[in-house]
Amino acid sequence: MITDRRHIFRLLLMVIIFVTCTSSLCYAKKKEKSVVLRVCNWEEYIDLGDWDDDEAIDLSDDNVIMGINSMIEDFEEWYYKNYNVRCKVEYSTFGTNEELYNQMNLGDTYDIVCPSEYMIMKLLDEDRLLPYDKNFFDKNIDNNYYIKGVSPYIKNEFETNEINGEKWSKYAAGYMWGITGIVYNPDLVTREEASTCEIIRNPKFNRRVTIKDNVRDAYFAALSVYKSDLLLSKDFRDSADYRERLADEMNDVKKDTINNVQDILVDMKNNVYSFETDSGKSDMVTGKIVANYQWSGDAVYALDQAEEDGLYLDFAVPNECTNLWFDGWVMLKDGIGKDQDKKQAAQAFVNFLSRPDNVVRNMYYIGYTSVISGGQDSTVFDYVDWCYSADDDCEDVTEYSVDYFFNDGSSNKDYVLTVEADQPYRQLGAQYPSENDIKKSAIMRFFDKDANRDINKMWINVRCFNIKDIPVACYIVFGIIALFIAGLLVKKMICNKKKV
Amino acid sequence: MKKINISRKNLSIPYMIYMVCFVVAPLAVLLFYSFTDSDGKITFHNFINFFTDGNTLGTLLYSVVVALITTLVCLIIAYPVAFILAKGHIKNKTILLMIFIMPMWINFTLRITALKEILTFFEKNLAYFPFVNTIIGMTYDFLPFMILPIYTVLINIDDCYMEAGLDLGADKVQAFMKIILPMSKAGIISGVTMVFLPAMTNYVILDMLYNSTYIMGSLIGSYFSAYDWHNGSMISIILLTIIIIVTVLSTDSNHKEERL
Repeated sequence: MITDRRHIFRLLLMVIIFVTCTSSLCYAKKKEKSVVLRVCNWEEYIDLGDWDDDEAIDLSDDNVIMGINSMIEDFEEWYYKNYNVRCKVEYSTFGTNEELYNQMNLGDTYDIVCPSEYMIMKLLDEDRLLPYDKNFFDKNIDNNYYIKGVSPYIKNEFETNEINGEKWSKYAAGYMWGITGIVYNPDLVTREEASTCEIIRNPKFNRRVTIKDNVRDAYFAALSVYKSDLLLSKDFRDSADYRERLADEMNDVKKDTINNVQDILVDMKNNVYSFETDSGKSDMVTGKIVANYQWSGDAVYALDQAEEDGLYLDFAVPNECTNLWFDGWVMLKDGIGKDQDKKQAAQAFVNFLSRPDNVVRNMYYIGYTSVISGGQDSTVFDYVDWCYSADDDCEDVTEYSVDYFFNDGSSNKDYVLTVEADQPYRQLGAQYPSENDIKKSAIMRFFDKDANRDINKMWINVRCFNIKDIPVACYIVFGIIALFIAGLLVKKMICNKKKV
Repeated sequence: MKKINISRKNLSIPYMIYMVCFVVAPLAVLLFYSFTDSDGKITFHNFINFFTDGNTLGTLLYSVVVALITTLVCLIIAYPVAFILAKGHIKNKTILLMIFIMPMWINFTLRITALKEILTFFEKNLAYFPFVNTIIGMTYDFLPFMILPIYTVLINIDDCYMEAGLDLGADKVQAFMKIILPMSKAGIISGVTMVFLPAMTNYVILDMLYNSTYIMGSLIGSYFSAYDWHNGSMISIILLTIIIIVTVLSTDSNHKEERL
């Protein structure tokens, strides 16, 4: 009897275990699929929502754009609705491209990151990027907002630029883009003076200009001063392969070029107010400085801020050359690997950020210019028009064409804005540079190992105090002082010994 | 008895883990990088590089000069302040002490930002005097670290020593120089180490006050941002060695004082 009972008990137990197991398995199967997406982006480079009511962008009666939740939350919701998969975004940020690169080398894994063009090239060169799927480029899929909306100009740049024979467009989807230029106070600096990188070492503005505390930007600015004769010459400008030659000249890292650039940078160091990382904008507003070599997105922000304080600043693009830059989304091999669910989520993330209303939200929030022009959707152009078009009662107006950026040839629409006469030299000129300015732009490639070493050495030469600069007389004086002190000490010791 | 011993040993385990994770392991990594090159081979090239590169040595010299002057200025300001606070016949001493210590409660970047505006008001353009501004900023930042240890030592010296000296015929200056000053040496030494060592590497103050010459901290940073971890680590290791030597020397002389 006892054994029987035990048997029954055992049987019962087995049944219970079996039932719970299978039911939990069934439950697991029923539970929705979920995916985790690890995103790493620049600091303050996405809309975090929480706008005030009066900030709503009222493009038309049925198109009001407003950031209520953060873009990330909105994406998670949207992804679930469209793909029936729960996506959890783990969002982190970085401050510089080098920081991101170091983080990745230290073992942080991300699925999708947003570095600048030269870092994308470096990562591609190291074979760490995953190409986008073919269907990501299919315009017929509804949710493919990126390919439907990307500006024809940006698309062309991404198609024509190659690294190791691979087109950028295969591996990178653009996010924001811009140029470099000079923010200046028109009351104290003429446009002519500001339209050249020479202003950074112009003694007239001694200790009242700033430049970025960043090797690449400083090198580019100094290089365009060094090569200004060539860059401004008519022959060079008119040559058939001007853009290619310009790009080659601005990526010149030969030893003697670096040495000459170093001399210019030393001049600049002795003339600037500071090498700034983030203070340039506020120093401009408080009037500590009168001109400031800046990225176009930050320039827009500085101009806006100054305007709130009643100070009107202008933006000028250097005549010699301007640095064209992009930040783009790239998928990482060691993060996504062969995980198709992750890849789908990553590509959907890019597409979601490229949806015209989200583009407007991001542009409004961070002040930079999106690579998205909208394609068939006019939201982005409407937003630019909403931002910049002159009031009806304004008399001094001018026409400003942004056709090169918006017109993909599918419509006969003229993308021309009617704006206040000074806008082309203000926010609009920084946010959407004129075609003329774009023509004299060059992309700066990544430095290879040797060039990186040489340029870093040059930077340290510029920034560091060199012991060889100390004149011999100083050594002699210090030597005498040291001997004197040593003599005193020895004398004291002898005295002490005698006393003992 | 035995039981207590064992539990004590066990109690130290969390600290051991902490030490291994946050002190020993990072040091090991630093050592590894400083003696290897980018191919992972062992090399002494980085070490030689440090002592042959005029810029590195120049930066070291510049940092030491900045730190020395800061320490000296701090000492000159802090000693009288601490003396008056400890020995002077002032009402509301604690409140006065508070006023000197209070800035420590505020984050130093905020303090330096405020200082920047004050200096701009006086100098009009900060960029003309980067070195002077650096010294002012550093002194402002580190002054409490000099006042506190000296004050603590001084307040513990019994007034009767001074009185005895005066009774035995010394004048006030002599009594101070021969009694109070030697007795407060321990405070001075700990104050000096607390100011000198951080002042050598605190590059944030230089950055914020627009001194575009690098000191040790920023030099190390520049190597790391150029992906050269090996030379960067080597500079860190050598700097660490210098700091250890200075600390050992100062505690040594401190002990000697105590024995006397």
